[in-house]
Amino acid sequence: MLTNIVLDSLVTGLPLAPLTLGVYVVFRIRQDFDLTVEGSFALGAAVAAVLLVAVVHPFLAVVAGALAGAAAGAVTAALHLGLGIPVLLAGLIMSIGLFSVTLHVLTGPTVGLAGAETIFTVLGVTGDAGQVLVLAALVAAVLGAFALFLRTELGLALRASGAAPAMVRSQGVGDAQIVTLSLCLANLLAALRGALLVQVQGFADVNLGIGMFVAAIGAVLLGTLAVRPSGSRVLRIVAAVVVGTLTYRLVLVAALRFGLPAADLKAITALTLVAAVAVQRYGAATLGRAEPALPAAVRQ
Amino acid sequence: MSAPALALSGVRLVHNPGRSDEVVALHGLDLEVARGEFVTVVGSNGAGKSSMVSVVSGATRPTTGRVRIDGRDVTRLPAHRRAGSVARVFDDPRTGTAPELSIEDNLALAARRGRRRGLRRAVGPKQRAEFRERLAELGLGLEDRMQDPVGLLSAGQRQSVTMVMAGLVAPSVLLLDEHLAALDPATAARVLRLTCALAERTEAAVLMVTHNMQHAIDVGDRLMVMDRGRLVADVRGPRKEQLTVDAVVDLITTAGGVVADRSLLAGTEER
Repeated sequence: MLTNIVLDSLVTGLPLAPLTLGVYVVFRIRQDFDLTVEGSFALGAAVAAVLLVAVVHPFLAVVAGALAGAAAGAVTAALHLGLGIPVLLAGLIMSIGLFSVTLHVLTGPTVGLAGAETIFTVLGVTGDAGQVLVLAALVAAVLGAFALFLRTELGLALRASGAAPAMVRSQGVGDAQIVTLSLCLANLLAALRGALLVQVQGFADVNLGIGMFVAAIGAVLLGTLAVRPSGSRVLRIVAAVVVGTLTYRLVLVAALRFGLPAADLKAITALTLVAAVAVQRYGAATLGRAEPALPAAVRQ
Repeated sequence: MSAPALALSGVRLVHNPGRSDEVVALHGLDLEVARGEFVTVVGSNGAGKSSMVSVVSGATRPTTGRVRIDGRDVTRLPAHRRAGSVARVFDDPRTGTAPELSIEDNLALAARRGRRRGLRRAVGPKQRAEFRERLAELGLGLEDRMQDPVGLLSAGQRQSVTMVMAGLVAPSVLLLDEHLAALDPATAARVLRLTCALAERTEAAVLMVTHNMQHAIDVGDRLMVMDRGRLVADVRGPRKEQLTVDAVVDLITTAGGVVADRSLLAGTEER
């Protein structure tokens, strides 16, 4: 029973990690909310699915899906910078608008892959275990690349920008550059997650993204609680993303395994979020963790 | 003769123009500061000292007038685009550093001030060695704590790190906006010595805003008094050396500053 739960959490959780990382970038590092990720998640899935059906090389399809997400992030950044719409609202607008875009890409509510080549068939991998290995390798590569990026000059500026905006400006980093960078990255990662999911489940659906933002926030909160990442501890950031994602899945999978009806999963998600925030806020004294759970911009 | 490091001409700054709550923060300020010149700026609250710093840094754009740095007109450039030639130390030690980031990451951020940031590693062995050396000069033992988040440091330690940060890329203009205000007297004296050493090494044009008359007299080549958006006194050379706290307070109060300030201003002598 227990091994089953853990295995299930790994299978369903691992591919989620890029999305959690994307949300981490905006939520923890930039201290903001970007809801575009729900739209770009579905968009990435749709673009990848359509390309797979059109017999494009599966890895190319994944890259194209991810880039579609980055483009969506760029539009959100443009809305924010050009019209002064707060990122939260710009993302909300985008997530709604992208729903129609995704429908057009799919030319219908769903597209099945129906025997099309996927990254798994291309690699000659069959069975669940093989798929998990491929996904784990891909996710590890993405997380590793991101950790390296955070250590570059640009990544360092990104890490500093959320908590110390005046300082970063006085060091010659423009707000526009950092906002665009963070939103493109977040949505690239969200769309990448969509493009990978399509290959696992064999279809793309216009509704894929719904609820994904909150799920990722839950994962980020759990990961933050468990690993306590901070600005200069890049490996901890990546670890928090992995641990958070898997813990979050573990909670959901365990709830299902213990006989909870699937309809109650949303409530479990909500409760997990509330519990994570509560522990961070009121467990501070007992756990010696005084960090606030939510970004400063949201607490005010 | 080459252009002065910093030149303000006819800089006027009006908040809420045309409204009933219109405030003129700067009344057509003209000022030239040469390379290597150290100017201390005093004046009561609302005199326009911080507005001037803000206009020079690019955080605020003047309503009219020109700001030139090394002869280049930077009036329309936002703060981040003139950061290559302007280093700014804030009054609040928390503003000038990123608290969550380690000391070495903060230094690495400042080591690329005003330059292109790319995909090179931010902190390599070469940078680390340089940072170590610079931190060791502070004599605070911070060179052995380079991985510690800056948030763990005291205000004095943080402001000392900021001094190091300001000097990593030699600025043309160094702006110090009451940067000693949050420090205890002994620490303030130590950071002031760092300030002078930094000014000497970088040969920047320095504008140091302070409420401490003694500091304003003790350091620098030139003392400026501001009042209600105007420059009301500009004392340099031998005359500056003969200044006393009383004389400076006189300069401020006779300029029409609130007389009630007098005792408070003079009181800073003991601080």
